[in-house]
Amino acid sequence: MDYYSPTDLNEAYSLLEKYGEDAIPIAGSTFYMGHREELFDEVEAVINIKQLGLSYIRQDGDGLHIGATTTLNEIFAHELTSRGVFGILSETVSELNINEVRNMATIGGEVCIAGEVDMPTTLLAYDAGIVIGGSKGVREISMADFHIGYLNNALEPGEIVLEVRLPQPPANTGGGFAKFERTAADLPIVNVATRISLDDAGVCTDARVVAGAATLSGIPERSGAAEAALLGRRIDDALIEAAAAASADVECINDFRVSAEIRSLWVKCGIEDALKRAVAAVRQGEQS
Amino acid sequence: MNAINLKINGEHYDVLVKPHWSLAYVIREKVGLTGTKTGCEMGTCGSCTLLLDGKPVFSCLRMAIDAQGCDIRTIEGMEEENNGELHPLQEAFIQDHGMQCGFCTPGMIIAAKHLLEHNPDPTEQEVREAIGGHLCRCGTYIRIVRSILNAAAVMRTGS
Repeated sequence: MDYYSPTDLNEAYSLLEKYGEDAIPIAGSTFYMGHREELFDEVEAVINIKQLGLSYIRQDGDGLHIGATTTLNEIFAHELTSRGVFGILSETVSELNINEVRNMATIGGEVCIAGEVDMPTTLLAYDAGIVIGGSKGVREISMADFHIGYLNNALEPGEIVLEVRLPQPPANTGGGFAKFERTAADLPIVNVATRISLDDAGVCTDARVVAGAATLSGIPERSGAAEAALLGRRIDDALIEAAAAASADVECINDFRVSAEIRSLWVKCGIEDALKRAVAAVRQGEQS
Repeated sequence: MNAINLKINGEHYDVLVKPHWSLAYVIREKVGLTGTKTGCEMGTCGSCTLLLDGKPVFSCLRMAIDAQGCDIRTIEGMEEENNGELHPLQEAFIQDHGMQCGFCTPGMIIAAKHLLEHNPDPTEQEVREAIGGHLCRCGTYIRIVRSILNAAAVMRTGS
């Protein structure tokens, strides 16, 4: 097995191209090292992408840009992601109560895993774009299209994720995140992210309701029925409960960890909780 | 094999490693510092926790080859930092029986050390959050939390 730690992107691309599917790009290394025995025969080259200058959080006219190798704890602490319209990112990180993993795991890794992790659920609710680089150039693909199945993403051999970009949400927008797991170190059994925009009368003008970790498809999914229940109506607890009940359109997976029936119930409870948090966040934003 | 140099508790060690070898494995088996424990080796138990450039990480999930140039601190370095005496956290774990078998103790103490360096007067909730990724299969959590809170009190008064 070969190990490389390239210091510029072109060098990284040529290494990725040379090894193709036998290369694994790593940054936080938590996923690779946690699965090193299964991956041992499949990996010929480990390419450390931490020296490529992809650790940053900044905001401009295009929205919020988070470099792929930014760690979860950096997102947790940063002023742009720990409060305000993107405070949901810090809220999402806080639900992974393992400081040691948060110091290592990166947003790029979370996005690529397409399995039981929290960040993609929130990113789907915030219409994030995934910026991908390779020797053929740079392209951006929506979070909705980036995951194509369980542990399967849209990266072609030779490509890596460079950045996650979140567009600026409209005014009076708030988000909420909720999660069910057994212990602090457990993978999520259900996670839920919501984002709602309200007008001055408290009528919902835009909504995202997303469930992850629990779905039959293995990747985060929007509940079209829950979003439709919210749109154009005045937000109150009864409407939130009705929207949560409508989330039954998300088909949940039945496995040895938790039955589909319980997961569906937890998706509903999580959505109710996350929607209430989102409304509270809008109200808080109006006051400040 | 790749030749690397690791800086552990201020000492430099030259070791030959394979890329997939974890830092926990290399520190225990090649460097010989066995205070750092390996339990699950997949990032769920916390017993291999050490400080890497001042931040707690699971050394089973870190490639040793990726720890070159980092300042690594293990449980063995704590006495040296405290002028050869046991660290107040170590004293408190003895005093308050913050252990039964002791396997999780080095990881717990390293996580607690990081907490107290940044938050000298934590609440019980903050202590519990700081050791959120650490398992104690003896179930000594109540005494571990008490040990950390008592160590914090000792460190604040400096006695």
